[in-house]
Amino acid sequence: MAEETKKTPPAEPAQEKEERIGVKAYIALAVAVAYFSGALSDVEGMKWLAAFDFTTLSGAFGKIKEGGNFLGTAGVGARQGFLFALSLTPAVMLALGCLEILAHYGALKAAQKLLTPLLRPLLGIPGATGLALITDLQSTDAGAALTRELYEDKIVTKKELIIMSAWQYSGAGMVNNYFTIGAGAFSFLIAPLFIPFILIFIFKFVGAIFVRVMLNTVYKGDFKDE
Amino acid sequence: MSDMTQTSSNPCDIFVRGAKKGFNLAVGNLMPNIVMAYVLTDILTRLGVMQFLSEVCGPVMAIFGLPGPAIIILLTTWLSSSSAIGITAGMVAAGTISPHDVTVMMPAYFLLNAQIQYMGRLLGVAGVPARYWPLLMLASAINASCAMLIMNWIVL
Repeated sequence: MAEETKKTPPAEPAQEKEERIGVKAYIALAVAVAYFSGALSDVEGMKWLAAFDFTTLSGAFGKIKEGGNFLGTAGVGARQGFLFALSLTPAVMLALGCLEILAHYGALKAAQKLLTPLLRPLLGIPGATGLALITDLQSTDAGAALTRELYEDKIVTKKELIIMSAWQYSGAGMVNNYFTIGAGAFSFLIAPLFIPFILIFIFKFVGAIFVRVMLNTVYKGDFKDE
Repeated sequence: MSDMTQTSSNPCDIFVRGAKKGFNLAVGNLMPNIVMAYVLTDILTRLGVMQFLSEVCGPVMAIFGLPGPAIIILLTTWLSSSSAIGITAGMVAAGTISPHDVTVMMPAYFLLNAQIQYMGRLLGVAGVPARYWPLLMLASAINASCAMLIMNWIVL
């Protein structure tokens, strides 16, 4: 019971807002894309754009000696792990702070609106699943809870539930995970930040389409009644 | 206190609310995971397991343009991507893997992210029958392999 009362309040305002996806939400989504993509970090003749770039704003630790920051060089074990984790903390705080603002202005709702028309042709699942899928990009647990509700309310069939879950399972919570956990590897990347990110998103669909095909062929007998 | 910030729609307050989440995540999740990962890497290196795995798994990993020890990172990702990133940083620092290798594996960290945990947290919660879990894992493994091949081609 307590569980239920906890769940309802966030779901309701979300649905209310769904109807009011305005220009602001699309602007927020566009800002989110530009901000995290890294495309603004070094635009020829418009250096000031870097003021709106995630990696730039993550900044840099001061150098203690030529060629190193406070992590030093050649550290190992628990001490080095601790310092490394400490060095990640500011970028994680910055990323989640900004994601919170962008989500507040409806960036995710706009993304949902753009995603919905793709669901039926690509995955064979109803557009109503869009909210659960978009939620999964930020929070695995919330996405899973919404998915279960869709099945319990008979909005999706068992087969559609499995396809939805396949989409969620590979790359679950990708937006938050990429910019928090992934931030630990950003400094090593030799390709722009957004390339692996887009690949993850595309492969969520590829994996789900694979599962859809498998369910329609190998597992065909399981869904005779649907 | 938290109620006050919750209701505020001032962008600065919203940012602080998110940053607070970020701090808690970094301290409560990243830090213990990464300390664990660094110690584990150190143990495996001292025992010679790294050396062994890199020789045994070298040929398979070479398909993706990766060195043998990368298999440890990919297997760890399956348990927890924060640990995997921790191990990655340790290996880059030790020169075991290069920034090129990290870039190639970058999509795989997330496409395979914490699948063991998510069996319960996602598939269990959503109500997917256990009979289909291997299929979903296979799909994720295919996703990660293809994504790494593409990354390897991009960064050539």
